[in-house]
Amino acid sequence: MDQNDYRSVPVNPEEVTPKEVYLSRRKFLKGMGMVGLGALLASCAPAISTVNESPASTEDLREALTSYDAITNYVNYYEFTTNKEGVAELAQDFVTEPWSVELSGLVENPRRFSLDELRTNFEQEERIYRMRCVEGWSMVIPWLGFPLHKLLAAVKPTPQARYVAFETALVPEQMNAAESGMFPFPYREGLRLDEAEHDLTLLATGLYGEDLPPQNGAPIRLVVPWKYGFKSSKSLVRITLVENQPPTLWNTVAPQEYGFFANVNPGVDHPRWSQATERRIGESGRRATLFMNGYAEEVMPLYEGMDLTLNY
Amino acid sequence: MAKTTRQTQKWLLAAVHLGSLLPLVLFGLDAALGRLGFNPIETALHRSGRTAVAILLLSLTVTPIIKIFNLPMAIRLRKPLGLYAALYAGLHFAAFVVWDFGLNFGLIWLEFTQKPFLWVGLGALVILAVLAATSTRFWKKKLRSGWRRLHRTVYLAAGLALVHYLLAVKGDLLTLQGEYTRPLLAAGALLLLMVLRVPAVQQIFQRNRR
Ligand code: HEM
Repeated sequence: MDQNDYRSVPVNPEEVTPKEVYLSRRKFLKGMGMVGLGALLASCAPAISTVNESPASTEDLREALTSYDAITNYVNYYEFTTNKEGVAELAQDFVTEPWSVELSGLVENPRRFSLDELRTNFEQEERIYRMRCVEGWSMVIPWLGFPLHKLLAAVKPTPQARYVAFETALVPEQMNAAESGMFPFPYREGLRLDEAEHDLTLLATGLYGEDLPPQNGAPIRLVVPWKYGFKSSKSLVRITLVENQPPTLWNTVAPQEYGFFANVNPGVDHPRWSQATERRIGESGRRATLFMNGYAEEVMPLYEGMDLTLNY
Repeated sequence: MAKTTRQTQKWLLAAVHLGSLLPLVLFGLDAALGRLGFNPIETALHRSGRTAVAILLLSLTVTPIIKIFNLPMAIRLRKPLGLYAALYAGLHFAAFVVWDFGLNFGLIWLEFTQKPFLWVGLGALVILAVLAATSTRFWKKKLRSGWRRLHRTVYLAAGLALVHYLLAVKGDLLTLQGEYTRPLLAAGALLLLMVLRVPAVQQIFQRNRR
């Protein structure tokens, strides 16, 4: 299994599924439009296996790619609406050009990167990651982007820098629910510096080989595959290196439910949704949630000696 | 009862049946057309839960309407509304146990051990089930005055259902940051309905009528 088991290596160009295949796969899924009813019927069958085996190898992940349709139409982006299937339409006119991301704080070379610079100065690679939402559903998504550590290296964090704070764009004129008062926007997230510098941590600019659509966090977003989805902030405008743990939106709103680390962990439950199992979008039944979303081997060195139940 | 009143009652009853079955029919239609969205189980849980709450609240409006507007014929609507509320609550529970967890009782038990809001929902469901089972004329006769007392626990069921609702939505209940508009509207409606049951309040309406 060795390298096949690696879930994050850049995929060779010849391995990348051509767009036509994606599309036909999409059609196929559409053709099976009655997934819902199928599931309903299947659930009446006596011998249903509830927890599916999770695929581990890249090959299997490729088989299990979630449809483009689902990835782009079932999203949480609360600045637009809390209705996951309503975001795509509301976000379609979100203006993402011109765009720049400001890198500042405890860095030697603070500077602003234009979107063009981010797309051309850093080699874009495809990475197929699992995405596990704290709400108990998951997907497998072929991202396009580059590891965050490359960008951090360009601005050189100073020795005092211990955390990285991320800020999402807040454009009330274009975001319907930005000023509803429901949540304290702008959306903020944070990582410990060593987490941010981990090779799995990605700045994504695309998915399925195309530019990110607005609803998925265009033009550039964070992807931290071993953490619950809310850690992967969308539409980034600011990345700040800081000394102390930065405040994050969900950790501020409900700290007892959403920890700062928010590592995917079936052993730490949540008062609303199952974290032991998950619904993979496009499948019926539930599958077991993998510790660290299946990336334990790669990321556990980050948490040596830490009690992950306390630091949830 | 006058003939026209009986006619009106028939129409109202038909409207209650049609209106209450509509969410189920729409759900079936959406399922058949593959329109339950990308997370059909979530859709089923949300729709059935919200419908149960809405019909339950409607069933609680019947008695105040009778008293305030002096419309005794409305009484016939109360039982079917209550039964439909129980039906949707049952479907909601079935969606959870059968569709979501495939009758895997180990996993279901794990969920219950970790999530208090499920116990609150179960409390509401049990009450609704008992009330549905004892809604017949047979039980009414058998329990005599106890029947009324028993069926007043419908307010407890509604209270529990709303606590369950408030705990089920995403956000923080203490600071009310989150999706609380709908459940709070429902809670406000329940509060109003309970205030309308207070004898002193009812007297105000009755005096005004005279
Ligand atoms: C043992 C009984 C019950 C169980 C296991 C149960 C389970 C659930 C679950 C798992 C959710 C969360 C769905 C999600 O957000 O993913 C939920 C939400 C909800 N439940 Fe229940 N429930 C029960 C009883 C009831 C009853 C009796 C009612 C109403 C009469 C009810 C009304 C609701 C409502 C309104 C929601 C919120 C839907 C939304 O967010 O739009 N539940 N329930």
